[in-house]
Amino acid sequence: MGMKSKSKKMMMLLMAAIMVLSLAACGGGNNNATKESANNKAANTNTQETTEPAATPSADEPGWKSDTSPITFDWYLNFAWFPNKWGVDPTSQYVTKKTGVDINFIVPAGNENEKLNTLIASGKLPDFITLGWYEDGVKKMIEGGLVEPLNKLAEQYDPYFFKVADPDKLGWYTQEDGNIYGYPNSSSSPKDYEQYGDTYVSNQTFVVRKDIYEAIGSPDMRTPEGFVAALKAAQEKFPEINGQPLIPLGLHEFTATGNDSLEGYLQNFLAIPRQKDGKLYNRETDPEYVTWLKTLRQANQEGLLAKDIFIDKRAQMEEKIAQGRYFAMLYQRTDFAAQLGTLYQQDPNKIYIAVDGPANSKMDPPTLNGPSISGWTVTLISKDVKDKARAIKFLSYLMSEEGQKDLYLGEKGVSYDTIDGKDQFKPEAFDLMNKDRAAFDKQYGSSFTFWMMQNTNITQQWQPESVEPYKQLEDWTRGKTISVSEFDLIDPLANSDEGIILGKIKDLRSKTLPKLLMAPSEAEFDKIWADYIKKQEDLGLAKVQAFQQTKYEENKKKLGMQ
Amino acid sequence: MEMQPSTQPAAMQEIETPPSSRRKWLKKLYTQRHIQIMALLGIAWMVIFNYIPMYGVIIAFKDYDIIRTIAEAPWAGLTHFKEFLQDENFVNVMKNTLGISLLKLLTFPLPIAFALFLNEVRSLRYKKAIQTISYLPHFLSWVVLGGILATWLSDVGIINDIFMALHIIDKPISFLAEPKYFWTIIITSDIWKELGWSAIIYLAAITSISPEMYEAATIDGAGRFQQMWYVTLPSIKATISILFILAVSGVLNSNFDQILVLRNSLNDSASNVIDYYVYYTGISSGRYSFSTAIGLFKSVIALILLLIANQVSKKLNDTSLF
Repeated sequence: MGMKSKSKKMMMLLMAAIMVLSLAACGGGNNNATKESANNKAANTNTQETTEPAATPSADEPGWKSDTSPITFDWYLNFAWFPNKWGVDPTSQYVTKKTGVDINFIVPAGNENEKLNTLIASGKLPDFITLGWYEDGVKKMIEGGLVEPLNKLAEQYDPYFFKVADPDKLGWYTQEDGNIYGYPNSSSSPKDYEQYGDTYVSNQTFVVRKDIYEAIGSPDMRTPEGFVAALKAAQEKFPEINGQPLIPLGLHEFTATGNDSLEGYLQNFLAIPRQKDGKLYNRETDPEYVTWLKTLRQANQEGLLAKDIFIDKRAQMEEKIAQGRYFAMLYQRTDFAAQLGTLYQQDPNKIYIAVDGPANSKMDPPTLNGPSISGWTVTLISKDVKDKARAIKFLSYLMSEEGQKDLYLGEKGVSYDTIDGKDQFKPEAFDLMNKDRAAFDKQYGSSFTFWMMQNTNITQQWQPESVEPYKQLEDWTRGKTISVSEFDLIDPLANSDEGIILGKIKDLRSKTLPKLLMAPSEAEFDKIWADYIKKQEDLGLAKVQAFQQTKYEENKKKLGMQ
Repeated sequence: MEMQPSTQPAAMQEIETPPSSRRKWLKKLYTQRHIQIMALLGIAWMVIFNYIPMYGVIIAFKDYDIIRTIAEAPWAGLTHFKEFLQDENFVNVMKNTLGISLLKLLTFPLPIAFALFLNEVRSLRYKKAIQTISYLPHFLSWVVLGGILATWLSDVGIINDIFMALHIIDKPISFLAEPKYFWTIIITSDIWKELGWSAIIYLAAITSISPEMYEAATIDGAGRFQQMWYVTLPSIKATISILFILAVSGVLNSNFDQILVLRNSLNDSASNVIDYYVYYTGISSGRYSFSTAIGLFKSVIALILLLIANQVSKKLNDTSLF
């Protein structure tokens, strides 16, 4: 290894420098060029299309019927867990046959933010993009001019869009420039609430293991004392489940931004208002909420909070739920539906059932999040889309009742039939759906395997009665569900000044929550809490609140609540 | 005028020498042309993937937004660096990074010792078996291993079973839930995973030692340990030095995969390291300029450490990278 010659030495110096510096080299390259070429391309397709002798589109006629030649769209889904492919199952094959549209789904392999931000920075997006309405990416793409205004596309190519779109939802998603760039799924406007409100259910549940709960005498768990006593009784009577220790209380996972169960979720159970006299209320500071955090601290002191709940990620939790290791859980029912199905098939007595959970001192019923106008995801059409006309027409088709029926019920005779004068799933399909959803997706592909534009208000006319064990959980949330539309979309962009503050506050919260629960005494808890509140103020909480207040007032105006 | 004749030849000579050496150089280049083309590919790769992306480093000094280009972003000076130094996580992050890395640096001699002992094993088959078994864990990704370790280290895991059976502890400990065990877990699992693999390079260096040296040592009456000490070790000194210099420069480079899969909200105070912090602020929160600034800060310190280690090594034993 004698480095004698000068060139060798230089080479080594160079290599060493590379090894060290390549660590620093990140961030996007100059994407001016790509953007420009993308623009040119868009301009080209534009001229091509306008020169085509376009038949004057009619508002009553579904646009997609005018052209059913084969075309393949790339569709980006910002959900790494999405497991399905278009064209594998009979439902998507049926839609492709009908409309000529084939879809190539692009799903991130790892961190969704990373993939989406890379796509945005490259300046070139797939034809369709579907992501949660709460994502920063939505605003970035709109501000960066990377997506097409749907209203302009519709005016030019497919006025039928306005017939199938809900004007309230369009109003909600209208941007400051007067354009609409994305359309939501699973969205329910205040008007929908009037029409279907009593059928709405929430995902948020407090569940207990049926056999254990009954064995300890079905206690009332609404009060702090009753709650801790029940956990204790369960642990004493059933210290082990199949040779492994019982976990008295399960929560959603602790993440870098906090804990879902211990924030809005618990606050909803305590019916803590989101606003008071038109001012957004800092729910965290409510004495009822602090009381319950202290209750959980007490539970931890008595050895009722297992360490697992601070460490486990979703995968470990799902495994433990399937083993029935938890006694009680403050957990979304939809997040453990598959495990619940498994438990039910093994022993219908060892399942999780919803019961009344933590409540405030006045014993008010919970105010759970119901469907909101923002919905779940929004779908946007990229500026780089292959064929603007076909894209907006296909979107309209998916939004229309026909499209909803196709993706919900599938092809007639394959996945549904008219039985007793009513269009409904074939019994064998429905049976498989409840037993093995993954297999159902591949074998039938209906019931919104492709949920990108799902509108459950339209499809509920075909919806079968839910069956046990899911029905009990759903029914429990009925009447406890409220609309929280006006509180959506009020958070600042993550890299804005307010957004950075909010990010720091969330980071602080994620570090404080475990400390609060693990505090050895109530005095220690009070100290940590006071410190936490003060640090939030120092970080600039007031600035964030002012931002959110403005947004909230705008939202109320949009929804006609003022 | 008289000077002219004498100067001219001299000048001629001066002009003549470079072309001849350049010609020589070109000739040499021509004879090596096949090899040079191969090298060129490597250089091109390096320029494209290592040098051009370095341009992106300037966003550390700008307020970069992904929907605009780097050139369009306004300059921000050293704001991001200042913010990091004032960040309330700074002290904790630095403590964890340096702590974990220095401990890892202390384990540097282990693979050398392992290679030396392995070299002394006389049965070839046994040696091969040990070698294979010891570097097998290297091929498991940290993502897989993280899941395995989380199970092993949980309060009902195998580690607790063993410790309980040996009466080392009275009641099960949830190892990953306690910050005080985190560094130990990181270091131990890293040794277990990489020991065999890191020993390979030393084993390779040992095989290149001339057997005559050992013969000479034997004749002089050196025992096995003396041979190890006076022949083997000095012969691989250069390899050790170079690897050590590189290890020093990597001090701020805690193993990101490992930390990411083993950290959780309870051990955060011991597991938040620079790499994770960069990932969290950059990738998850989208603050690219801020996290690039942190990354650059780390790289500059790493470069300084590298230069110091190199100088020291040059002074002490005359081996160095450059």
